[in-house]
Amino acid sequence: MTKRLVQGNEAVLLGAVRAGATYFAGYPISPSSEILMQASAYAAAHPELRFLQAEDEIASANAIIGASLAGAKSFTATSGPGFSLMQEAIGYAHKVGVPCVFVDVQRVGPGTGMPTMPGQGDILQTRYGSSGDYTSIVFYPSTVGECFEYTIHAFNAAEESRSPVILLSDAFLGHLNEVVDLDTIEVPVVPRTLERLASGSTRLFSGVLTYEDGEPATADADEFIRQFEAARLAREEAARRYAFYEYGWNKEADTLVICFGITRRISAPLAPYFALFRPIRIWPVLQDELREVAGRYRQIIVIEGSEGQYASVVERVLYRDVQRVPLLGGRMSLEAVREGLDRIGLLPAELAAQSASPVG
Amino acid sequence: MAVKDKLKEELFPTIWCPGCGIGLIMTQLATVMDEIGLDERNTVIVTGIGCTGRMGAYMRFDSVYTLHGRTLPVAEAIKTVRPELNVIVVSGDGDTASIGGNHLLHSIRRNPNITVLCNNNEIYGLTGGQAGPTTPKGTNTVSSPAGTVASPVNLQGLVNTNPQAYYAKTTVYHQGQMRRAIKEAIDWPGFSFVDITSQCIENNGRRIGFPSANEMLMYFKKEYRQAPSAARHLEHHQLGIVKGSPEAAVPVAPTAGGDGHSAE
Repeated sequence: MTKRLVQGNEAVLLGAVRAGATYFAGYPISPSSEILMQASAYAAAHPELRFLQAEDEIASANAIIGASLAGAKSFTATSGPGFSLMQEAIGYAHKVGVPCVFVDVQRVGPGTGMPTMPGQGDILQTRYGSSGDYTSIVFYPSTVGECFEYTIHAFNAAEESRSPVILLSDAFLGHLNEVVDLDTIEVPVVPRTLERLASGSTRLFSGVLTYEDGEPATADADEFIRQFEAARLAREEAARRYAFYEYGWNKEADTLVICFGITRRISAPLAPYFALFRPIRIWPVLQDELREVAGRYRQIIVIEGSEGQYASVVERVLYRDVQRVPLLGGRMSLEAVREGLDRIGLLPAELAAQSASPVG
Repeated sequence: MAVKDKLKEELFPTIWCPGCGIGLIMTQLATVMDEIGLDERNTVIVTGIGCTGRMGAYMRFDSVYTLHGRTLPVAEAIKTVRPELNVIVVSGDGDTASIGGNHLLHSIRRNPNITVLCNNNEIYGLTGGQAGPTTPKGTNTVSSPAGTVASPVNLQGLVNTNPQAYYAKTTVYHQGQMRRAIKEAIDWPGFSFVDITSQCIENNGRRIGFPSANEMLMYFKKEYRQAPSAARHLEHHQLGIVKGSPEAAVPVAPTAGGDGHSAE
């Protein structure tokens, strides 16, 4: 293949196919619908990819769980309220240990919110959205090529951790077209790890806490803790192999900017003035890497499309205050970044003097 | 092989209350499975939440104990990925027709080749006896002290919105008929639904005036009547089968000059 224009959402679909996905279920919702539509087109031409346009996001999420147990690498894609509807199933997949991939192309919430505007308000939902304690693995690319690359990593991590892995995107990134040659992106593919249904054993895949033999363990705290710890350790161990981040820009600056996904792209003109830390693995949080890098800087600014979801995580990890530049209401632009920096008194003079341009 | 090989008897006694109807369904299902050669290599059981959901744990098969209401999307996806498998859903009326109602509606129209056995005891038993989607109007329950105000879901009507689907009405008293219905439903090449009236003595029966589970079974014996074999619709308290036809015409996409109907 040669270089061509590829859309972020299309790159996710192609990444899933490259990773060996053979089942997709979804429900139309902006700004993720291109993944559904292109999955349907791909499936029509390649019957090995099974496709279901389900009645809602609840069905989609549960269908990919069933498909995975049956032996398929499976995924769904959604946004905002649809992702909220999937939270119960994500918790189930964590409890049961089902490898599968959830793609969340973020828009502005809460509620129906601003369906076609980019947001980053699902950072905490990807970690804490379902009931109870569990360990999430979440990636957030920031280029079309990375949408392809990290979708493959998401499938691999799902297999290695035997858990639902989330790939974050956003309306801007999902609809971004970039010239890229996907064939030059090589990520080894991890084969299936879960023995498929009806292979001769008689297992019980249960959302209810049970003992090995299937008897309920619903009043046994020790059994709960044993299973919880085993799951946590397995997922943390798998996640360690996916500790992706970017550290760059002007490392000699005295202030560190943290941003991710589309805010990384928007903030590019800040490069001469700040150092950059961009987490690609959003969860588990890159605690050691963040501590090591942040220790070199006097100040830290988090630029993100929420009121400060990731900033609060950084503060907790570093035990220090960070400055917030929230880009709200879908206003993802260099101008909004400039205004935000100006508000906290950290806008470099040179940048202030430049004329406004909509995209960096 | 024998019927008992289908069951994990080492886990008995079950968690079901004395007098519960679910065991009667499990026995007939196991009997049919033995008869037609279903085993852990060709069959998967999918159950929902509620007392009935425990059945998968007691059967010697791979079994998926899903979230509340989510049996059908899980079962359909399994059948899609592994068309060679028999996929049997066993769940209660609340799981199937209330919280899972939207999935039921759409599974019926997608017509997957799966079988649903619905333990229809007309109550939320596991949670203590609240009104359910099939509770007859006017029933006194712990969540309807003045009697339920809504009509029960019309499962037969719902299933038969798909002219290619299979619907059977039976009760746990009518064991022979139940067994035949389960067998036919598993054989049916499309969506099949066996609506099995059963009793929950502990959390419903006694409150509505039955002294024991036996009286409830005797009530089923007295009240339910076999429908004429050619019946296209079952009346209240009629037992029978309303089979669609796998070749039945369904509406198709409009085309200029077409009539919008075609055998598919």
